[in-house]
Amino acid sequence: MIEFSKVNKFYGDFHVLKDINLTINKGEVVVVIGPSGSGKSTLLRCINRLETISDGGLTVNGVSVGDKKTNINTLRRNIGMVFQHFHLYPHKTVLQNITLAPMKVLGQSQKEAEETARHYLDKVGILEKAGSYPSQLSGGQQQRVAIARGLAMKPEVMLFDEPTSALDPEMIGEVLDVMKALAREGMTMVVVTHEMGFAREVADRIVFMDEGRVLEEAVPADFYENPREERARLFLSRILNH
Amino acid sequence: MDFLKPFIEVYTPDHLKFLLQGFLVTLKVAAISIVLSFIIGAIVGTLRYAKIPVLSQILAVLVEILRNLPLLLIIFFTYFALPELGIEMEITTAAIAALTVFESAMLSEIIRSGLNSIEKGQTEAGRSSGLSYVQTLRYIVLPQALRRMVPPIVSQFISLLKDTSLAVVIALPDLLHNGQIIYAQKESYVAPVFIIVALMYFIVNYALSLAARRLELKQS
Repeated sequence: MIEFSKVNKFYGDFHVLKDINLTINKGEVVVVIGPSGSGKSTLLRCINRLETISDGGLTVNGVSVGDKKTNINTLRRNIGMVFQHFHLYPHKTVLQNITLAPMKVLGQSQKEAEETARHYLDKVGILEKAGSYPSQLSGGQQQRVAIARGLAMKPEVMLFDEPTSALDPEMIGEVLDVMKALAREGMTMVVVTHEMGFAREVADRIVFMDEGRVLEEAVPADFYENPREERARLFLSRILNH
Repeated sequence: MDFLKPFIEVYTPDHLKFLLQGFLVTLKVAAISIVLSFIIGAIVGTLRYAKIPVLSQILAVLVEILRNLPLLLIIFFTYFALPELGIEMEITTAAIAALTVFESAMLSEIIRSGLNSIEKGQTEAGRSSGLSYVQTLRYIVLPQALRRMVPPIVSQFISLLKDTSLAVVIALPDLLHNGQIIYAQKESYVAPVFIIVALMYFIVNYALSLAARRLELKQS
């Protein structure tokens, strides 16, 4: 469904992504881990062209992401994204945050969009906050709204860019629970995270990145028990034994 | 109570009527310039924010030139130099044109920086949901930016209203100009006339500030 082939990306002279080859299949949950600065967020952001690739091929559902002829807005309808800092629209209520894109992009009526929005708000467990503004919500609640906002477009893939990194520890659980439920329903997910418990529990595959390269790809059990790469071993020992 | 005498003498119905006539000219010139410069400033500010190649650079140069010239010079230029180049305008039109051009440049900077002050993540969230650039600007960035811009925009409007008085140099029959005609009659009229002229400017501008403050409170 998502296919990177020999993808490179540069920021000026800085080589952020190096010869990335990666395939993500429909229904798969792929967790990308690695030290900061390893290029994992950039990798994720290339999938919906928030970052452009410098060379190589990147397709989503067979459509080339970088091609100038590709209608990026059409492509993005199908790719939900959740950010580290939520990026809810502060001037809109929770409900309006969720209905904006379905109404303006998919042309849904307000009634239809609100029904969908309520459905997903219920799903993430904060239907009662529909009329609130983002500033009245806790971080965990905001992130759950952001997930509902992504889901309301009924995308085939959801991208998560460190969705719990900006949260207070006691709120991480509620967001991860929503993501776990989503994974169990068969959503295709690409998740950049440091949550090892989550990765172990729901990932179909772990992708370990360092210095712009994918160093290792493995099922979680193998990766955690016996990482092949020295760099991965070092990373795991640092992150698990603190 | 001698010092009150010139006040009583000068505040005659005729004089007051004459001052009000001038004040109406001030308000008319200011209102038209405010509307025009807001529209132009919004367009220029947005185009510059959008970083359209070539166009944005040309606008940047124009804005920088205008912003760094004294308004008085622009007024002089519009009324005295443009006719040499074949563009002739009457006084009121010239005053409106000069004010509009200058204030558009100032407002475009306020609007551009207001748009820039909105976190990039907002645009990313909008774009990644499939909204187009223009839709993202319209539904997400602009509404938030406008709220932040209310105080500086209103103070720009206030300074525009005050700046209309500079057009006395091309004899625009505004409040200050009519005031000058009245106090030219007698030296003792100067202070009373200035006081009432000041009062008129103050009332309108203060009302504008209060309205802006109301708007701000309503939003927060």
